[in-house]
Amino acid sequence: MVSKKGKIWWIAVLLVLCLVPLILPRFYVYLLSVILLFGLFAMSNNLPLGFGGIYQLHHAVFYGVGAYGTALVITKSDLSPWLAFLIGPLIAAALGLIMGLICIRLSKLYFGMLQISLGSLVWAFVYRWYSFTGGDDGIHGITVPDIISSYQGAYYFALIITGLSLYVLYRVLKSPYGIALQGIRDNPVRSAMIGVNVRRHQLLALIIAAFFAGTAGTLFVVVDNTVFPDMIFWTLSLEAVIMCLLGGWLTFLGPMLGAAMIVVIRTFVSTYTVYWALVLGIIFMLVIFFLPNGVLGWVEDLYKRRKNVADMKE
Amino acid sequence: MLEVKSLMKSFDGFKAVDNADLDVRKGEIVAVIGPNGAGKTTLFNLITGILKPDSGRVLFKGEDITGLPPHKICRKRISRSFQVVNVFNRLTVFENTQISILSRERHTWNLVTPSSKLAVDETNELLRRVGLYEKRNRVSGALSHGDRKVLEIAMALAGNPEFLILDEPTAGMSPEETTRCIDLIQGLRERYGLTILFCEHDMEIVFRVANRIMVMVRGATIIQGTCQEVRCNAGVQDAYLGGSDVCLM
Amino acid sequence: MDAVGVLNQVFVGLSRTVILFIVSSGMSLILGVLRIPNVAHGSLYMIGAFIAYTLSKLFGGGDLGFWIALVGAPLGVAVISLAAERGIFQYLYEREHLMLILLTFAFSLVFGDLVKIVWGGEYKSVPVPYVFQGFVPLFGGLPFPLYNLFLLCCGPVIAVLLWLLVNKTKIGKIARAAAVDREMVGAVGINVSWVFAIVFVIGCFLAGLGGVLVAPTVSVTLGMDHTLIIEAFLIVIIGGLGNIWGALLGALIFGLTQSLGIMIWPQFGIIFPYLAVVVVLLFRPTGLLKSTW
Repeated sequence: MVSKKGKIWWIAVLLVLCLVPLILPRFYVYLLSVILLFGLFAMSNNLPLGFGGIYQLHHAVFYGVGAYGTALVITKSDLSPWLAFLIGPLIAAALGLIMGLICIRLSKLYFGMLQISLGSLVWAFVYRWYSFTGGDDGIHGITVPDIISSYQGAYYFALIITGLSLYVLYRVLKSPYGIALQGIRDNPVRSAMIGVNVRRHQLLALIIAAFFAGTAGTLFVVVDNTVFPDMIFWTLSLEAVIMCLLGGWLTFLGPMLGAAMIVVIRTFVSTYTVYWALVLGIIFMLVIFFLPNGVLGWVEDLYKRRKNVADMKE
Repeated sequence: MLEVKSLMKSFDGFKAVDNADLDVRKGEIVAVIGPNGAGKTTLFNLITGILKPDSGRVLFKGEDITGLPPHKICRKRISRSFQVVNVFNRLTVFENTQISILSRERHTWNLVTPSSKLAVDETNELLRRVGLYEKRNRVSGALSHGDRKVLEIAMALAGNPEFLILDEPTAGMSPEETTRCIDLIQGLRERYGLTILFCEHDMEIVFRVANRIMVMVRGATIIQGTCQEVRCNAGVQDAYLGGSDVCLM
Repeated sequence: MDAVGVLNQVFVGLSRTVILFIVSSGMSLILGVLRIPNVAHGSLYMIGAFIAYTLSKLFGGGDLGFWIALVGAPLGVAVISLAAERGIFQYLYEREHLMLILLTFAFSLVFGDLVKIVWGGEYKSVPVPYVFQGFVPLFGGLPFPLYNLFLLCCGPVIAVLLWLLVNKTKIGKIARAAAVDREMVGAVGINVSWVFAIVFVIGCFLAGLGGVLVAPTVSVTLGMDHTLIIEAFLIVIIGGLGNIWGALLGALIFGLTQSLGIMIWPQFGIIFPYLAVVVVLLFRPTGLLKSTW
């Protein structure tokens, strides 16, 4: 799977990431936490999108529901917060199953549209149920266990959970299931013809994706101690898709890179101008035009082209 | 082994398949021929479950398989290649073949084991047999057309089928590629006892390879018989030559 | 509230439905022919409202201002959309669907901020033209806002005009053909690119028109685009892609379920339209009426 050289790289990166809170000021640690969890959110979106060929256009539903699930269990029940951290993603996965069963009968854009409709329904519900979900205001000041309540603690928690989740996603993509899923992306008819039950395999992708989106939402609760209805809104979903595209939706780490780019750009552009949406929009357009496979995709293409030339010279 | 009885399929009033009959005996090679638009591919789609017939039946080894979804048809050990090359473009030749084998073994629900460790020998063996071993790490979207058609056949074979359906296997191939393909098909029957159903436009190939021929015109079966019977049939001559007293070829 | 009161309320709410219909029909056209869900549609609607504000102010803020805005704002939006389409969109028609959707999303971000730059962030208001101010006794003598009545009359007029445009004119026929088979249309010698441009501009014109018409009834603010776009999108989906009557039907269903929903269950009233959409899509995933796809 990963070469020796690759493994060394990974360990080096992890080491650096572990040292970050000891070197950088609080703001940057917070930023990195946000990048990690949004990266997980985007990567979970890319499982059905880039690797399954499914028009997963409203992924924020699972992210937000996971976050709300965790927040509500913490604030409204006596259960241990650690249990809450597990329940949130599980609720998201359950919602993924339900919505998946409803939507999977359709394909391509129709799937995406039905998902957006269902997701809007969920959003409207959460938005209006003031007494339970806090409605428009959301929920603030959610208490988390002391060990992860500091900004460094939250960061390490996010790092560990994201790292583990990424590892699981990687194993899934390299497994026979992962290859079959990519086959479905490339050619659903062919997949069916070699014996793959296309619908069921896609449904599993949706459930897994929803679980990890919910995990990302839970991480947000830990890092930011709040939830609000915008976490379920369609604009966040489209942002996630753009993160995947920006970084490279056919690569494993592309969405993580895309998330990092967007978080960084937004944060730093807003220090210069309040019109960061304009800048973001222009950057999206440029990427769509010139780098349709995303940044990482472009890098990979370059690498492959050089390799091909080298191969041909032999 | 395979029986098709009075199969019908319309699209918005257009009768694509209009009372088609077919029977293929075990170990035979049967060809379906007919003018363009006669409904050959639609017939294959109906048999393999990609389309559901309006009426009629498809029986395989005595079992009614009419209207079953494609993945279930595959489990009955019926495999198929497509007229327009249908492979997994972004995956390598190796992965294309491997996933077909893994699917046969129902390993596609395995989310844990790295696929690079599974079915490697069998995949390589199959690739050697069809002559694609050297290109196994190439992305299949980058192969030549002929190679991709061979890959398709390899994927169909990976399912360890008893019955193989080939939709215009030599379409778009150069003469050398065509010869290779024909030798491959005939070799398959001899070595593995496969029953083969295919459709073609190249009459030379049809008459050389097929045991029996079924002729389709405008969605209906005109005749099914041996090469000789078909050559001298009036209906066939009408369809192809607009009526003539001379036996074809 | 008695039956007549309910009826009155419903019809007052229907005037909002007219706005939804106009905007949705534009989106439906674009989705049906170009096959792009135009995420920027809401932004164009908002721009229409803001241009209406400016034009209205420019001409004294009275009736004259309104009528000029009624014509000028949609035209302004049409020009902007033409620039966007010719300048950027048209080069991407060959790309994957998803890219085009994201491109329109990028545009919505850009437009959103452009509005902020040009008009600032405060609420704006457009006064109702004098001739439409006041009420008229309608249902059982209950007062019915004149402006809403005007909107209710606009609806069917625009529906008929659109239907004529799509079905009876040459450009309409070509557009419908291009929706089904753009290659064939190109092969026959028609410049498909220009067909797309025209359809896109008309669709955006309608968005701007919706913006103008709604302006006197609400505060013109940033954020108008976000809520509207989802509603328009859902209406188009349940109506059938590219189908004008479908957009009307969808808007009616959406508007009515919303009004009735809020009356019956004030807190959760707004989920009723979304529920209705889900129900429709479960039974007719391609929409209630025939779509052009």
